[in-house]
Amino acid sequence: MENSEVLALEAVGMYKAFPGVQALDNVDLRLRHGEIQALIGENGAGKSTLIKIITGLYKQDQGILRLDGREVEFSNTHEAMKAGISFVPQERNLIPAFTVGENIVMGRTPTKGVFVDYAAVNREAQRWLDVMGLDIAPTTVVKNLSAAQMQLVEIAKALSMENKVLLLDEPTASITPHEAEFLFEVLRGLKKRGVAILFVSHKLEEVYELCDRVTVLRDGRNACTDEPLATMDRDRLVSLMIGRTQKVTELPAKPIERDEPILEVRGLRAKSGTNGVDFKLYRGEILGLYGLVGAGRSELARALVGASKIIGGEVIIQGKPAKIHSVSDALNRHGIGYVSEDRKVEGLILPHSVAANISITIWRRIGGPFGWIWSRKEKGLVKEYVDKLDIKTPSLMQLVKNLSGGNQQKVSLAKWLAAQARILIIDEPTVGIDIKTKYALHDLIWNLAKQGQAILLISSDMPEMIRLADRILVMKNHQIVGEIQNNHNYEQISAAIMQKLM
Amino acid sequence: MTKTSLLRTLVNIEWAGLLGVVILAVVIMAFASPAFLSTYNQYVLMRDVAITLLVALSQLVVLAIGQMNLSLGMIGGLVVVITGGLMEVWHVPVPLSVLIGVIVGTACGLLNGFIIVRSGINSFIVTIATSSVFLGINYGMTEAVPFYNLTPEFKAFGQARWGSFPPILIVTIIVTILIAIFFARTIPGRQILAVGGNLLASQTSGVPVGRTVMMAHAISGAIAAVAGILLMARLGQAQPTIGQNWLLPSFAAPIIGGVALSGGSVTIMGTVLAALLIAIIQDALVLLNADPYYVQFLLGVLILAAVGFDRLAKRQREA
Amino acid sequence: MNILTRIGQNWSRFGLFLIIVAFWIFFSSVSHAFLSDFNLFTMLRLASCMIVIGYAQMVVLSAGEMNLAVGAIGGLMSLFVGGLMEAAHVPSIPAVLICLVVSALVGMVNGLLVVGTGINSFVITLATANIFTGIMYITTKGNAFNFMPPDFIAFGKTRLFGLPISPLILVMLVVTVFLFFLYRNTALGREILAVGANRGAARMSGVRTSRVLVIVHTLSGFLAGVAAVMMTAMLASAVPATGTDWLLPSFVAPALGGTLISGGNVAVVGTLMGGLLLGTLNSGILMLEISNFWLQFFLGVILLLTIGLDRLRAIHAERAVVQ
Repeated sequence: MENSEVLALEAVGMYKAFPGVQALDNVDLRLRHGEIQALIGENGAGKSTLIKIITGLYKQDQGILRLDGREVEFSNTHEAMKAGISFVPQERNLIPAFTVGENIVMGRTPTKGVFVDYAAVNREAQRWLDVMGLDIAPTTVVKNLSAAQMQLVEIAKALSMENKVLLLDEPTASITPHEAEFLFEVLRGLKKRGVAILFVSHKLEEVYELCDRVTVLRDGRNACTDEPLATMDRDRLVSLMIGRTQKVTELPAKPIERDEPILEVRGLRAKSGTNGVDFKLYRGEILGLYGLVGAGRSELARALVGASKIIGGEVIIQGKPAKIHSVSDALNRHGIGYVSEDRKVEGLILPHSVAANISITIWRRIGGPFGWIWSRKEKGLVKEYVDKLDIKTPSLMQLVKNLSGGNQQKVSLAKWLAAQARILIIDEPTVGIDIKTKYALHDLIWNLAKQGQAILLISSDMPEMIRLADRILVMKNHQIVGEIQNNHNYEQISAAIMQKLM
Repeated sequence: MTKTSLLRTLVNIEWAGLLGVVILAVVIMAFASPAFLSTYNQYVLMRDVAITLLVALSQLVVLAIGQMNLSLGMIGGLVVVITGGLMEVWHVPVPLSVLIGVIVGTACGLLNGFIIVRSGINSFIVTIATSSVFLGINYGMTEAVPFYNLTPEFKAFGQARWGSFPPILIVTIIVTILIAIFFARTIPGRQILAVGGNLLASQTSGVPVGRTVMMAHAISGAIAAVAGILLMARLGQAQPTIGQNWLLPSFAAPIIGGVALSGGSVTIMGTVLAALLIAIIQDALVLLNADPYYVQFLLGVLILAAVGFDRLAKRQREA
Repeated sequence: MNILTRIGQNWSRFGLFLIIVAFWIFFSSVSHAFLSDFNLFTMLRLASCMIVIGYAQMVVLSAGEMNLAVGAIGGLMSLFVGGLMEAAHVPSIPAVLICLVVSALVGMVNGLLVVGTGINSFVITLATANIFTGIMYITTKGNAFNFMPPDFIAFGKTRLFGLPISPLILVMLVVTVFLFFLYRNTALGREILAVGANRGAARMSGVRTSRVLVIVHTLSGFLAGVAAVMMTAMLASAVPATGTDWLLPSFVAPALGGTLISGGNVAVVGTLMGGLLLGTLNSGILMLEISNFWLQFFLGVILLLTIGLDRLRAIHAERAVVQ
């Protein structure tokens, strides 16, 4: 039952900026004892930054954090845990070689002198496993458990610290619906015990099933704060997440060659999860791929670009069937390029220069005999793209890790332009990027299409999608559930998309 | 739950295969060469295992935390020179000399750990560098004060023989049991495994990572010291070159025994069996009058086979 | 770019050079034999070998790998070329060529194992090091080859233009130039560095990472073979002990020179300096008849300081303002 006297956890006026991006802009969060609150928002909305501040990994630029009414400040994750905040992250954070019992008591292991008191360890662990109603022996070695069981053990660990605040990040991401049900039962039990639970998830059905209240973040700000779910209908929730009140400036028309698709996909199935996808892409067209996180868009992209094995269906490029065995294949034989969603890890080589990052796709092409590359020629080519994309860098040799996010993204895009990829898949181009650069990137993408480039655009940013795409495919559960001709009318098209999403 | 958990750490199903291989090797050898089961041969075998196992354990402790100690051979050599010098040149009584030797070894290990923690440089480079430093000090001392013969009682212990059993093996057995208990039952041991297994989880739970790293290296140094002293006793001479060929065997036994180089888990039993297997192979080649040079070759093949099977097993499990 | 950053970036080239010069001055002031024709000749030959050994490791390091079998390949190839010339009576030039091809193949074995099994190169090359050394001993029964063909011995002993410059130095310089331009001006060189810096990103950018890895291991084997031939020429004999002490210098030379163990960068000239420093120290210590203590001790200290400074630089650079 709700006990709203003193808030279990409160974040007031949180600000956090990274170079070029305001990750959190006056964000509030309120969590009560004995309540489950959902924290939702799309990629780049600021959820993970907020959580990192609450759990002691980051320090906020401004803003107050209160625990049971007392103001608190954490300099590391251990302090946050000791203060009473438990965090169950998306990736498992247990010690695989240790037993369930030992993991639960880690950091407070009962001892007999210098020896571990295993009897006490198991007793203590059993106590909490019982509270949760878990049928797992404390002597089980963690690496032998299933993902769901490991997660429950982490919650038991959180519980055993008698921490009153529990944060769960995408807890059902890698467990079966049946296991998720069990998890929810456990959480409801914790709620009765007065624990304050923050539930971060993209799965709206679960949010409705489990949570009492919801806070929605969008673009680093609160779209809504601490609102009861009972009075929130799904339409409104989704529109809060993806934004419906933004103005969209028109982009001029451009021709699309519709005589023959440059790319045709039939019944595509892949190891990444893609489960029967059909679509056509034309030269000069920006085909949008919209969906909430987890819909399978990046997975589809990875299959097309050779990063994930295709196990069924056909890919036809310019009328000829294409076999894509590797990324190198996709680029060099078929001209498919992929601007990765995760630019810092996969899209760029941060410790290398702007020049090296851009020319990586063309080294083989511009190399003469023995692969010889004239530096001047390479630099000339690179400069062409640096200028074209207006990349702000003191020199071509500047290390990419020293550039701002927006410029880094431009470098990531530039390398595929340099490669003259016929089919360009752009995945979340403007996440975490400032507004000005965002619009510059939009113009860029638009111009590319105008010049005949075929583009598959993956984005969770509704206004961006409606501004840029000629057609929009809506994805859900690794399949395409709808196709919309885009007339760039925000009200109309966003409604149409949401309808397909339901 | 008290006895079973110790048993559990020792009884790790993963080394059952290795046990099978060892038994097979023993059986084959028993038939192939009558001398194999003789008390003298068993003695020689056990004598070799006594040293090899300690060297492997020295590396194992550091592998547990996900790091490496490339200086353990040089620590061994340095301790030999110092201990020998104390006994012979300054006539320090044997027990005290040995104690000082082990302290020196521990200090060397501690130095490694300290540099690693403070500078943030990875253990590979740091221990390559310190191995050079330790070797240097070794040379310095040897050139300054060369000596060869050790106290008779000390030699007697090292070269004694009780039927098929070499008394020096007692030391190794004690150390092995202590290390097993250390990792299975004590807080610092579990902390080492925790840091090796999941650094982030350990940090969040408040495990003192820096101190734990230093402890692992210190123990490694201590064990290397013991190995050096035992070998010195066996040879009857404080040879300064002791330890210079320890590096590859120090990795071979743990790897064949099934220890993950990434850290977080140790298998004492696996390492023991691997050390035993390596010694048996060496012994077998001598007995069969085969080219002793096959040892290294087989060692390499063994390592590849061990990791290869491990890989296959993992892929099967994932499929 | 301020002066400190400049110095920092070029430390591996200038700083190391200064240290070498300092040692030369020191050694020659203490012993006039240091700069003698004989000593320079010997020292520069040894340094050339050390440098190529360093290169053999450097190429795999740049790709984010390791080759613990450098010494093992060296020993095996030394005896191989010796055996070809002495036992099989193959004339020196074909023998050397065959040896180099085989070295490359041996390296390729390492590369194929690494790529095929997915096991990291530390373990693979640890195993193959033992295997190669084993093969060496089995086939030669521990014997050495001491009777090389006269033209081969001459190659090792000649002084060019009457100066203490051996053809071995030229070999080393040719290799240096090759590697320098490989990394600076070829597609392969850049791909190696990309794979070393971020294998995943390189793969997602269309680089054939498996191919690159096999190539670097092949190259490493080849260079170990070159060093083996050089050493055999220098000693005028092929002994099984060759290569047993190559492992540490193979890491120290690149590390001193600024090649990161983690991969993704390379410092060819730096490795040359590193190898030269190793040769200098070796020679100086012998000259001065000082105890080996100093050599080893300071080698370790210099290595730590150099890497420590490197880390300080990196941390400082990370704090640099982002635009």
